Amino acid sequence: MTAVTASDAVAAPRPKYGSISKSRRWALRWSYFFLVLFAIFFLTPPIYMFITSLKSSAEISAATNPWWVFEPTLENYIELLTQNQYLIFFRNSAIVSVCVVSITMIISVLAAFALARMKFWGSATLATGVFLTYLIPETLLFIPLFKTFAFVRDTTGIELMNHWWTLIILYPTLTVPFCTWIMIGYFASIPKELDEAALIDGATWLQTLTKIFIPVALPGLIAATIFAFTVSWAQFLYPLAFTTSTDQLVLPVGIVTTLIKGDVFNWGQIMTGALLGAAPPLIIYAFLMDYYIAGLTAGATKG
Amino acid sequence: MSGSRLSRRTFQRLAAGTALAAPFVRGAHAAGKISIGFWDHWVPGANKATTDLCNEWAAKEKVEVQIDYITSQGNKNRLTIAAEAQARAGHDIMAMPSWEPHDKAKLMEPLDDLMEPLIKANGAVNPTVEYLGKADGHWLVVPATAGSQIKGPCSRIDLLKEHAGVDIQALYPAGSPPKADAWTMDAYLKAAQACHKAGFPFGVGVGGTPDSVDTAGAIFSAFGAVLVDAKGNITVKSDTVRQALDYYKQLMAVLPPDVPAWDDASNNKWLISGKGAAIMNPPSAWAVAKRDAPKIAEQLWTHGAPIGPKGRFAPFVPYFWGVWNFGRNKSAAKSLLLHLSQASAAEKMVAASGGYDLPAFEKLTLFKTWVEEGPPKGTLYHYPNPYNHQVLSMAGAPAPPKIAVQIYTQAIMTKMAVRHFQGEAMEKTLAWAASELEGFMRT
Amino acid sequence: MADIAVSRAGTVNGAGGRTSLHRLMQRKSTVAFLMALPLITVIVLLVVYPAIYSLHLATLNKSMERFVGFGNFTFLFGRETFWLVVKQSCIFAITAVVFKALIGFVVAHFVHNIPSKGQRKWRGMLLVPWVIPPAMSTLAWLWLFDPSYSAFNWILALFGIDPVPWTGDAYWARFSVILVNIWIGAPFFMIMYLAALKSVPEQLYEAAAIDGATWWQRIWYVTLPMMRNIIAITTLFSLIVTFANFDIVRVLTAGGPLDHTHVFATWAFRVGIEGGDIPLGASVSLFMVPILAVAAWFILRDITKRGNEA
Repeated sequence: MTAVTASDAVAAPRPKYGSISKSRRWALRWSYFFLVLFAIFFLTPPIYMFITSLKSSAEISAATNPWWVFEPTLENYIELLTQNQYLIFFRNSAIVSVCVVSITMIISVLAAFALARMKFWGSATLATGVFLTYLIPETLLFIPLFKTFAFVRDTTGIELMNHWWTLIILYPTLTVPFCTWIMIGYFASIPKELDEAALIDGATWLQTLTKIFIPVALPGLIAATIFAFTVSWAQFLYPLAFTTSTDQLVLPVGIVTTLIKGDVFNWGQIMTGALLGAAPPLIIYAFLMDYYIAGLTAGATKG
Repeated sequence: MSGSRLSRRTFQRLAAGTALAAPFVRGAHAAGKISIGFWDHWVPGANKATTDLCNEWAAKEKVEVQIDYITSQGNKNRLTIAAEAQARAGHDIMAMPSWEPHDKAKLMEPLDDLMEPLIKANGAVNPTVEYLGKADGHWLVVPATAGSQIKGPCSRIDLLKEHAGVDIQALYPAGSPPKADAWTMDAYLKAAQACHKAGFPFGVGVGGTPDSVDTAGAIFSAFGAVLVDAKGNITVKSDTVRQALDYYKQLMAVLPPDVPAWDDASNNKWLISGKGAAIMNPPSAWAVAKRDAPKIAEQLWTHGAPIGPKGRFAPFVPYFWGVWNFGRNKSAAKSLLLHLSQASAAEKMVAASGGYDLPAFEKLTLFKTWVEEGPPKGTLYHYPNPYNHQVLSMAGAPAPPKIAVQIYTQAIMTKMAVRHFQGEAMEKTLAWAASELEGFMRT
Repeated sequence: MADIAVSRAGTVNGAGGRTSLHRLMQRKSTVAFLMALPLITVIVLLVVYPAIYSLHLATLNKSMERFVGFGNFTFLFGRETFWLVVKQSCIFAITAVVFKALIGFVVAHFVHNIPSKGQRKWRGMLLVPWVIPPAMSTLAWLWLFDPSYSAFNWILALFGIDPVPWTGDAYWARFSVILVNIWIGAPFFMIMYLAALKSVPEQLYEAAAIDGATWWQRIWYVTLPMMRNIIAITTLFSLIVTFANFDIVRVLTAGGPLDHTHVFATWAFRVGIEGGDIPLGASVSLFMVPILAVAAWFILRDITKRGNEA
């Protein structure tokens, strides 16, 4: 199963079976029926979020039909989007995610290339070990990291606590292993003859990587990019533990900590914020979905 | 800083009633920068009052102030406190919820030189504040106005009158002392039963979050039920605890079925949605109702707790302001805290929070905010316990704070109540609690 | 063999007038090591080192002043709640992952079945739960489950059904927590499986159809074997992430009622941060690692074994 066949399969039209078309039509009907059922299950909360985001807090408290908006209002959207701090969360999230994605891709592409093509002492162990880092959960790591940060401050004078850019250093631990894993699988599926020929022609390793591997493995690269973006956009525990000031928060933590006050939940705004926060990854997915599918398969089947 | 001279001077200034230019910040090193982590107030505008007070001080002392408002939602503030304690760095002043001062006692700068004059000027603090804020005879922190609260009952005037025959405004008249001798635990239970029958059950949480635990603490105290005594002995297998659990069993029978899962927001919503006749909460539910469901707000009355065999107890949950001993600007921090603890500052915070905030000092319970807030006018009059007719208590006390904090966070009391209510034999529940409590004895 | 030949060729090609350092830099294993170095640095500094530090933490007493060896673990093993948490974490992770995998597989199959024109639309819709940050979508569920305002109970009331205590009753609360987890995780499985389905060659199905295989036989003998690896990897990844989950339980139930929904991460937080016993919290978190390692070992061994056969 190489990448090439995988992406071809996506693009190729399905062959028609004239003889079994009747049973196929029934299969189709059942497929649509169940898809609608699952779509209801998957989309109920987002739709409910949307409904709630259009309500005023008085209407939410009124305990009327929760599935209908009697007096739709955009006040939640207006309030959030004109509020400086929400835009700051958004900016922080965007910068952090973009930086993390770039760093992740550089680290994991280099490492995956080395592990997939250029064996060195311990490389096989490392390839497995990379994935095993997920066995160590963040809940275990954040307290030791407090101590580590204190040590860094005492020796270098650099304060890592309560800065959004600290997250750029931390998130790669969550994204790099899976991305490396995908890329190893992808690189392994590229025919060896291709890079051997290049090397014989006098190309350096780096040239082989940039001129041959990366262009051929572009779908895999995009898949890894999307994964890294989703993870860094959604991370919750690290920003909760390491950032405090309002101007340092990222989106998920910002919404949870500023829109819920004590025992009072500002539901309309929370739902609005969550929906707006889900928009960037959704848009990215919409454009890159086909690559994503092709990329993930090739990586994971080989890995 | 030479303590005694300083405090005498401070006291003179306080007595003279002038706003205070604290003497701490005269040294050149004291000016500069100070960072503060306050509790993020849920009342719109309440943070601003605090910010204004700080800026007022900063302008006078030429100190740059940086304030972070940190929410208590999901215990984000406690996570931040833990982080700063581990990293030995962070804000100069930190707002600390009830149990944190004792837990971080070794990292707190003693604040005796602030508390002494403050008590002289503003009156004594209640024993709960002392229990939580003082260790080995030293004040670890000063009680904060912002965030401190009494979680007494808040009831619907109309529903109680109609279905339970209780005129709560007569028991707790605005502007005068309570006439609540008949307001007993039994009367409370009967009212709960009557309202349940009428389809408006009381909404008393029996979950694991502070509101539920605080209520349980007050009810247990009313029966004199103590899980661990002040010396650290486990006293859970006692008749008083059995009485408290029996009471809970009868009460829970007439509460909504999902009270074991209620969080701090559930009781508010219960009242605001019009489904319930009473909850245990500070005035936040009323304040939100005033905004979102004004018709219901007009019928809400904040009043005192019912009296039990061992007295009348109301849950009091103080916030504190503390100064890290690894902070970089301790003298400025102390000066600011003194400024924020003045009666005038407290009154501003109370006003800005719509009466929610509660100074811990005895003489500061009659601000006009509580008298005038409404509708209905006077609904908050009895909230700050103006006639001292109830004992302000903390769930888990009088156990040594290191044990009590675990009783509190693990919600042992509400868990016992739920277990017993769900049919577990009394002795089995007590045995379970005893084994949990043994686990809390770790040092 | 080919590798060695290539590396020789590389060295010979670049030999003209280069120093030995250059030659060392040109050596394949050195270059490879340098390329992997950023990865190694990140993992060692930010995962391995803190993990070892937390091992150290787990051997201290509550006030973190004294070494107690395995004291924290022996204490934990004596606690009823701890075993409850172990049991619940396993129930939670296994049930959630099984249903995620099942639903993911079924949905992927149906999406694969329909004409490719419409697939993009369906894929987009069905992926939405995975894209919304879980901390926020869980809040939406919390609001749907709310005791006073539950929109589900409102619908049930239309049919005259009593309100369900979604988070109030121990069993309902477990159900709710698992349901939300399935909701968030199933789309990820769906997309992974869909991609795998696309890579099963059409000819295999045609051959099976000619042999008169039923749809069930086609799935069992053609689809599943072709997807084994991807199923294994996705399951392992999801198992780890679900087992260590923090935000869903934390937001929905915070462990209640009666600790009946606590999992490792939330209980560790309760004990360590809220209860002021950081070493004990570290011990609880650490206990996750061996359990996960066993699962990982089985799954990875299975994959490499088959990898070698192939």
